[in-house]
Amino acid sequence: MADQADFERDALQYNRQLYSAAMRMTRNPADAEDLVQETYLKAYRAYHTFTEGTNLKAWLYRILTNTYINKYRKDSRRPNEVDLGTVEDLYLYRRIGSEASAEAARTTEERVLDGLVESDIKEAVEDLPETFRMPVLLADLEGFSYKEIAKILDIPIGTVMSRLHRGRKAMQKRLWEFAKDRGLLPEEAEKP
Amino acid sequence: MSNECDDNKAAGCDEALENLYLYLDAELDSVTSERIRSHLDDCTGCVHSFEFEKRLKAVVRERLDEDVPDAFVARLRDALAREVAGKTK
Repeated sequence: MADQADFERDALQYNRQLYSAAMRMTRNPADAEDLVQETYLKAYRAYHTFTEGTNLKAWLYRILTNTYINKYRKDSRRPNEVDLGTVEDLYLYRRIGSEASAEAARTTEERVLDGLVESDIKEAVEDLPETFRMPVLLADLEGFSYKEIAKILDIPIGTVMSRLHRGRKAMQKRLWEFAKDRGLLPEEAEKP
Repeated sequence: MSNECDDNKAAGCDEALENLYLYLDAELDSVTSERIRSHLDDCTGCVHSFEFEKRLKAVVRERLDEDVPDAFVARLRDALAREVAGKTK
């Protein structure tokens, strides 16, 4: 059992990460702040139920995610599937690699990785349907293990893996479009 | 196709590419992980794809990070302090 007196010292250090995740969930600063604040208050009230020595960050994320789902998720009509059609694995890499020479591909890889700006990445993640966005955020922003993600989202580990797989693919497809729009690709690679 | 692997390494390539994200996410058992690592020592095609995905993962992480407004952190501390005060009264 954890002592409430230690809560601020132990839990507040994660405010930056929780805020980053909340921004990608709610898509705006005002809601992100409300969400993080509510998460902390709920966590404080429930802190006596937290088992010391277990993963506090994951516990906070679980509260964040549930609070978001219960309160802030406004539009349940948003599609919950991603249409991946013929999107292959390693989509971005393979698209870039369809260029003439290995050397040209390396140059384009550099240009794409350097040239995709913050807003591209954020939009690519925010555009993911929630089912896919959550595992991607937890894995790629926070570096949680699949087991931790399964616990946070309360879904089986196999579901985590398949959602993560599809979510990352969909994200790469979007990033490819951004790279194209920003002129980061040589013309011959822009064919779909 | 410049980013494809040599045919004679295809079996190792299949296993490596199939497990690429599990490898990068550190989710593989040590035996499989070690087998893939040794395949990567040996296969330029796979090494490139792994490097690219690894860097992309890092780029995503870095560019998703937000600065928390100082004013918000202050408000958060206040809200917690009020909650604590309310509890002890």
